[in-house]
Amino acid sequence: MGVVRNVFKRKMRAFLTIFGITIGVFALVVMGGLAEKLNLLVDGGVDYYKDKVLITEGGSGAAVLGSSPITTDLVAEIEAIEGVELASAEVGMVLDDDPTAVTFGIPPMIVGDDLRWLEIPDAALRIADGRELTVDDSGVAVVGADLVAMLDAEVGGTIELRGETFEVVGIAEKTLAGTDTLVRVPMADAQRLFHATLPAALQDVLEPETLALQIVAYAADGVDADELATEIAASVEGISATGPEAFQAQVVDSMAMFNTIIFGVALVSLLVGGLSVINTMTMAVAERTREIGVRKAIGATSGAIMRQFVAESAVIGVTGGLLGLGLGWLTTLALNSAGDASATALFEVTTRLALGSVGFALVLGVLAGLYPAWHAARLDPVRALRYE
Amino acid sequence: MNDNIIEITGVTKRYRLGKDNYVNALRGADLTVARGEMVALMGPSGSGKSTLMHIAGCLDRADSGEVRLGGRRVDTLRGRELVSVRGREVGFIFQGFNLIPTMTAVENVALAAEYAGVSKRDAIRRATGLLELVGLGDRMRHTPTELSGGQQQRVAIARALVNGPGIVMGDEPTGDLDTATSEEIVGVMRDINTDQGTTFVLVTHNPEVAEACDRTINMRDGVVVDDGMALFTEYRSA
Repeated sequence: MGVVRNVFKRKMRAFLTIFGITIGVFALVVMGGLAEKLNLLVDGGVDYYKDKVLITEGGSGAAVLGSSPITTDLVAEIEAIEGVELASAEVGMVLDDDPTAVTFGIPPMIVGDDLRWLEIPDAALRIADGRELTVDDSGVAVVGADLVAMLDAEVGGTIELRGETFEVVGIAEKTLAGTDTLVRVPMADAQRLFHATLPAALQDVLEPETLALQIVAYAADGVDADELATEIAASVEGISATGPEAFQAQVVDSMAMFNTIIFGVALVSLLVGGLSVINTMTMAVAERTREIGVRKAIGATSGAIMRQFVAESAVIGVTGGLLGLGLGWLTTLALNSAGDASATALFEVTTRLALGSVGFALVLGVLAGLYPAWHAARLDPVRALRYE
Repeated sequence: MNDNIIEITGVTKRYRLGKDNYVNALRGADLTVARGEMVALMGPSGSGKSTLMHIAGCLDRADSGEVRLGGRRVDTLRGRELVSVRGREVGFIFQGFNLIPTMTAVENVALAAEYAGVSKRDAIRRATGLLELVGLGDRMRHTPTELSGGQQQRVAIARALVNGPGIVMGDEPTGDLDTATSEEIVGVMRDINTDQGTTFVLVTHNPEVAEACDRTINMRDGVVVDDGMALFTEYRSA
């Protein structure tokens, strides 16, 4: 109680110091929120690629949707390879070709597949509202959580996808990963839409019914997906097969660098806030020299004086931290809802980020208070009492 | 039980003001105060009376000489032990009252008890009783700025008494007060001295304060020149 009152006695100075910490924590929360969202996308990716091998047209080697088409005939061939539990063909394309749409992370996409993976336990996406697609469906769609606002989708209603009208039969549960920005449609619909995007020369050669962009092979229990990828690549002509390791190498490792930069920048701004706490507490000690003398004269130990000043600086740290967290959190909410229309939720303030940033502000406050508090504790009471 | 609560013999203290510039505040001062006495410590500025009081109250350490409080050597104590004696055996009152500005009257008084290890609840209870004793039962929740000088000094007296010390040391306790208030404050201290047997050592320039005391100790140039003991012995046996 006395601690809090002492901090707020000098209102302007307390405000400025706390504001310094607030800005630091604000930066940490907003930038950290950006990093956390990307981390979740990457985690989702790691999870998705865990027991799978992605098979695409040979050559480029990169397992990116949008490479040259292959045919669904390969499904049976791949499934015949030992260690493959099941193989499933997919077709996907970006939802919107508009080149002015700036996207960060994974762009909204239309995806169709043969739904064979429904046989794999736990592989299915959870549906928040409505139902999952079935193999007999046509002209229907399941919409990802982040696309609901952009497409104005509701179960029973209709949406426009590349000029065609689809009935919405389900809304997927939010996963915080890449699947939040997918619209899933039946395979035949996706093949038809994709066929229409191809150059006229290719349209004549390729049949929509056998079009696929990638085939996902599910590894059987106890089979290493990376080894399986090597085996598939060796046994099937003209394709490239990617296991989970490739994703790890391409994305997870570069993400670590991104995290370091983001948190580094935020930490620098917090440290500047920490310096202003040291400054404020040093001034508080100088100003209250006489009070420290009195406290010692009435029986305060050096430890008690030390604890008092450290506690005051901890209060500054925590107050700044909580304000920064609140402001940062509101900012990310506002930015996310502004991005709803284009399905670009960029920020995710996770529990660990929230606790971590306030905890860091507390530790910073305590550390910044240590030197001034130590200085206060070792004041000679007689000299302190004479101090004017 | 030793009858002398303070026994100081041959105490010296030298302060360093700057490089090669020293001031000899005490040059072998002796002082004996009997339990239950109320004494005035007088002398011109720089005579060493405040320094002697600080040393007697364990706020400062002597360079040489012996200091005993209630028969116990305290000049050899250091750190935590010294703080403990200071907190429990001695109470201080200052010229400028020196209350903590952000705390109420009752919190100021209770703080000294809390420093001595008393629980918050008991400290508040003790503080409440003492504020009633000094006549501030209706000003408990006021902060120092809401109190007059005399009222603030009453709070300071209550704070000095909260750990039940044998001795209360006052450094010009009436220095910032007008004549009427000064008399009131001396009266409060005199009553406590009579009723509870608390020893008072008051550093003062004010002859009226000295007159209200049992005896006057005069200092000059860092030594006690007249401790008025003869007069007091006479007064006691009478």
